[in-house]
Amino acid sequence: MWVAALLAVTLFGSAAVMLSPDRYAGKLAAAVSAVPALASVYMYYVFLTQNGGAGNALLSPGEVAFGQQIPWIDLAGYQIAYYVGLDGVSMPLLALTTILTTLAIVSAWTPIDERQSQFYGLMLFMETSLIGVFAALDFFLWFVFWEGVLIPMYFLIGVWGGPRRKYAAIKFFVYTNVASLVMFAGLFALVFNTDLTSLALPAMAEAFRNASGLPTIAGFSLATISFVLMFFGFAVKVPVFPLHTWLPDAHVEAPTPVSVMLAGVLLKMGTYALLRFNFTMLAETAQALAVPLAIVGVVSVIYGAMLALAQRDLKRIVAYSSISSMGYVILGLVAFTPHGMGGATFQMVAHGLISGLMFMTVGVIYNTTHTRMVGDMSGLADRMPWTVGIFVAAAFGYMGLPLMAGFAGEFLIFQGAFDAATLGSAAPVLTSLAMFGIVVVAGYLLWAMQRTLFGGFSLETDYEVGPAAFHDVAPLAVLLLLVIALGVAPDLSYDMIQHAITPLTGGGA
Amino acid sequence: MAAFTYAPAIVLLPFVSFLVALFAGDRMPKGGALAGITATGGSLLLSIWVALTVAGGGYHNEFVYTWVAGVESVTLRFGLLLDPLSALMLLIVTLISFLVHIFSLGYMNDEDETGLPRYYAGLGLFTASMLGFVVANNLLMAFMFFELVGLCSYLLIGFWFREDGPPSAAKKAFLVTRFGDYFFLIGVVGIFATFGTGLFAPITQNGEVVAQSFPVLAEHAVVDGETEAIAMLDTVGLSAQAWFTVLGLLVLGGVVGKSAQFPLHTWLPDAMEGPTPVSALIHAATMVAAGVYLVARMYGFYAISPTALAVIALIGGFTALFAATMGLVKQEIKQVLAYSTISQYGYMMLALGSGGYIAAVFHLTTHAVFKALLFLGAGSVIIAMHHNENMWDMGGLKEKMPVTYWTFLSGSLALAGIVPFAGFWSKDEVLYEALIHGFGTEGGLGTAYLVAYAMGLLAVFFTGFYTFRMVYLTFHGDARSDTARNPHGVRWNVKGPLAVLGVLAATVGFINMKPVAKLTGAHIDFLHAWLAGPDEGGWPAALVTSSHHYEGLLHDVAHVTAGYPLNETPTLLASAAVSLGLALAGAGAATALYRGSDPVEHTDKLGSLKTLLMHNYYQDEYQVWLATGLTYPLARAMDKFDQGVVDGVVNGISSVSLFGGSRIRRIQSGVVSNYATLLTLGLVLLLAIFGLAGGWF
Repeated sequence: MWVAALLAVTLFGSAAVMLSPDRYAGKLAAAVSAVPALASVYMYYVFLTQNGGAGNALLSPGEVAFGQQIPWIDLAGYQIAYYVGLDGVSMPLLALTTILTTLAIVSAWTPIDERQSQFYGLMLFMETSLIGVFAALDFFLWFVFWEGVLIPMYFLIGVWGGPRRKYAAIKFFVYTNVASLVMFAGLFALVFNTDLTSLALPAMAEAFRNASGLPTIAGFSLATISFVLMFFGFAVKVPVFPLHTWLPDAHVEAPTPVSVMLAGVLLKMGTYALLRFNFTMLAETAQALAVPLAIVGVVSVIYGAMLALAQRDLKRIVAYSSISSMGYVILGLVAFTPHGMGGATFQMVAHGLISGLMFMTVGVIYNTTHTRMVGDMSGLADRMPWTVGIFVAAAFGYMGLPLMAGFAGEFLIFQGAFDAATLGSAAPVLTSLAMFGIVVVAGYLLWAMQRTLFGGFSLETDYEVGPAAFHDVAPLAVLLLLVIALGVAPDLSYDMIQHAITPLTGGGA
Repeated sequence: MAAFTYAPAIVLLPFVSFLVALFAGDRMPKGGALAGITATGGSLLLSIWVALTVAGGGYHNEFVYTWVAGVESVTLRFGLLLDPLSALMLLIVTLISFLVHIFSLGYMNDEDETGLPRYYAGLGLFTASMLGFVVANNLLMAFMFFELVGLCSYLLIGFWFREDGPPSAAKKAFLVTRFGDYFFLIGVVGIFATFGTGLFAPITQNGEVVAQSFPVLAEHAVVDGETEAIAMLDTVGLSAQAWFTVLGLLVLGGVVGKSAQFPLHTWLPDAMEGPTPVSALIHAATMVAAGVYLVARMYGFYAISPTALAVIALIGGFTALFAATMGLVKQEIKQVLAYSTISQYGYMMLALGSGGYIAAVFHLTTHAVFKALLFLGAGSVIIAMHHNENMWDMGGLKEKMPVTYWTFLSGSLALAGIVPFAGFWSKDEVLYEALIHGFGTEGGLGTAYLVAYAMGLLAVFFTGFYTFRMVYLTFHGDARSDTARNPHGVRWNVKGPLAVLGVLAATVGFINMKPVAKLTGAHIDFLHAWLAGPDEGGWPAALVTSSHHYEGLLHDVAHVTAGYPLNETPTLLASAAVSLGLALAGAGAATALYRGSDPVEHTDKLGSLKTLLMHNYYQDEYQVWLATGLTYPLARAMDKFDQGVVDGVVNGISSVSLFGGSRIRRIQSGVVSNYATLLTLGLVLLLAIFGLAGGWF
């Protein structure tokens, strides 16, 4: 019931906001989105204290929290249901989604000055889909939400974006849609070769994990082929090198609140789906392919960080560094250890908060200066001290400063991957290579901060620079507090994550 | 014990002062300084209480907070380890920090600096981070606070952010130490993966070990061949000792970065851009000291690896000499002190590498006192000189500021190593340990010690020289500028800390007068007794961190043996005489060259060597080149590749499909007869296919 309520509030709220006058749309949308945000905080609290759903939603569906299952369609012998529920993986991601949406909506008050009701309506509609993606336990339902995210995103970039918004929006849409198609083909090749009668994700997991006698094509087992196709499909979303080029374009063109959602939540859809499908349903194949997959992750880490080093646009810097951060998640997932996979899941939440914070801070600066180029401005610390203070804190969070969430995620991943049995004797080497990302990230963020925030004040554009409005800074402060809270006490999320992850890993470091 | 119950407050008090100064500093008198003084004063009192409890035989090693509770995996916790080493370090850090806070009233408040809340917040966080690092009972907690120390140095070095220099120096400090910390982090992860724990000392309850420490596990593996509790060995395919050496050297990466050892020393001279009290704190008691302290903290792990010991000794000896030579030609007072810091930490590394655990801790203690004194003295001079730091504009300040002069002289005598000032006793012990272990130890390790000893010994001469060159140029002769003729006065808040440290710099060496102890037979080597502990039971048995234990390991596992070219006491006296003689010779040479009312620059006589020294052996140049000449162009090239090739393929695919689409679109001509033709053709084709497949023909 709780999940259905969240979906209903955001969906009907979206419609109401679309019909409201522009003047009130922002405030109304914030009020509407506060409902699921507060509700998910309460759900989180219940989950945490009652330890509901202590297990993995796909492997022990009886233990899910806030579960609901209603038969829906009977399609060619496959039972399709409205089937939702939360476990220790989806609960933190759901809370991340609802909280970040509210904050992104508030952060949009300043920059979004046309077609407000449509903008905020689409943001809420996107929230509906995102809640659905993380809560759905039926494939059909999940896929509807999964694709449903693309529609508002396409318009949000294409209508409110920067100069090349059409190119970026179409590239984003086509790229991720083609990826979905490939994933769909891979998944259904398996569905048709097992005797499934339901498209519920737990049923799929059981069938795929126990599948035997799968056909082989050109010497490869169907499990391997499907794994690769699905990995390709989800990896686009993450994104993983070399499938990442839609991301910088989308980020640069998207208005800041949309970038916040894109980096903060949409990228996590990719890693979440990888965890649910590839690494849960095809765990054996994933372990067999661990070394090449880990190499993909490590290359993403270093490649993304190096590209971030070459950028001048603050948003591009953060965009490329997201590729780097998500590479760690891949490395953690393939480790198949509690800290590896758990750390990867924690990193999804941590990076969601930190990248959201980073984009939001860049947005506040852009709202004031109307430029994002390193070199076009300097000495901002003098004019907007609190914003710059949060920028510095966020940047250090991104660099993995201890007692902030990013460090916990990265450290746990490194710890879990360093002696991962799946990676054999390559484990310490690959992990050490990935760790070098923490040096490069410090390089480009410190460089960008030195150039833009410090030194004497100067600005290429012709705008008055003063302290940002309260409603611009407040969301930053909230996010920063969350980042610090999760860094000081990772177990606020990590405990439930581990309970959902350990059924997958079966012990180890 | 009660003192240990309150020990977490030692860390928390300065943290509270950070919060108070940050959020309420602008509404408080003195911009939050009073909160910082109260907090560090409170921490100092608590540290004294802890030290007294430890002196009474108490010790403490408990977890206080679970950071990550592992489910079927390793649990990560925070805890406090209070033994003589950490108790001593707590005293040093809280005392220096307290004095630096008071001094800051004169250096920052009286000079009408802006941003005081930010300054005092930074000092508070810096102190709290360092104290958290000092009391950490495991490697992960130590790493985390080690990183926070790095953050604070960034914030404080870059305090004057409106200028161009400080932000750049702050960036460099964080980046260079981060490079070292990269290796440290691999070491931390590796040690946790190998031992399943990062504890520095075992946790015991009622005499039973409930959680073993990694140095002890390593010792059992190497000495007794007990490798059941050791993971990773099969993965890496190394012997236990070889793998532990690798791990030890990885951790050493962080030490080399933070303690500014060659080749990661380049950030430290730049860090002089920060306010001078911050320099005092960084160099004497916090960031730079953290590296050396870490090696001492996990000394049991290094003592079983001859290779790691040799590397530490050689890095230390080389850095001591290398940095001392650069200090010879510097013109700014803080630059001289910066290179002397690098050099002095080299001595500590030399001591740790060559088996002189006590000597290293001794030098860490004395150096903290006299280097804090010298920086604060320099700060007093800088106030007087209206923030002109060039020694060639000074001169004759001796009469104008006697308190600063006499205390600075006390610190200088300690730095140069002139008897009976503090530095003499500790530096002498460092060199003595290197010498006797160099003579006694066989093979490559012994040779490494002798080489390191020779470098350290030569550096004594240079130290004496640059120290007294600095003293003469700053305080003696005639004033060489108008500001030096009419210096700005300083108040009690500057003179007070100087007086305290000036007395300590003259006397703190008396805690371990080893030559006197040997000659007279009196048991006055108190630091030795402090770090060795009782022979039976007590903390050495429980924590396995006593210097006795380390000496045993060094002897039995690394085969570090003492050997005496003369008999023991004559060797000790000869070693002391040689290093004192060299120090006096250096000081004498400086006197000869720079004494008199109007000294002149002699550095030109060095010829091309001067250019080399002035450019610091081009260490900065190659490191900057690595960043901006190599990495950045590589990143640009990768960006081109990304835009051109990776994204080019994506756009290429879309172009191909668009092109294909536009060609196929031509079929849609809009002419009905064409469609009819296509329909007919299609039908015929389908019939043909069905026919062939169905076997109609």
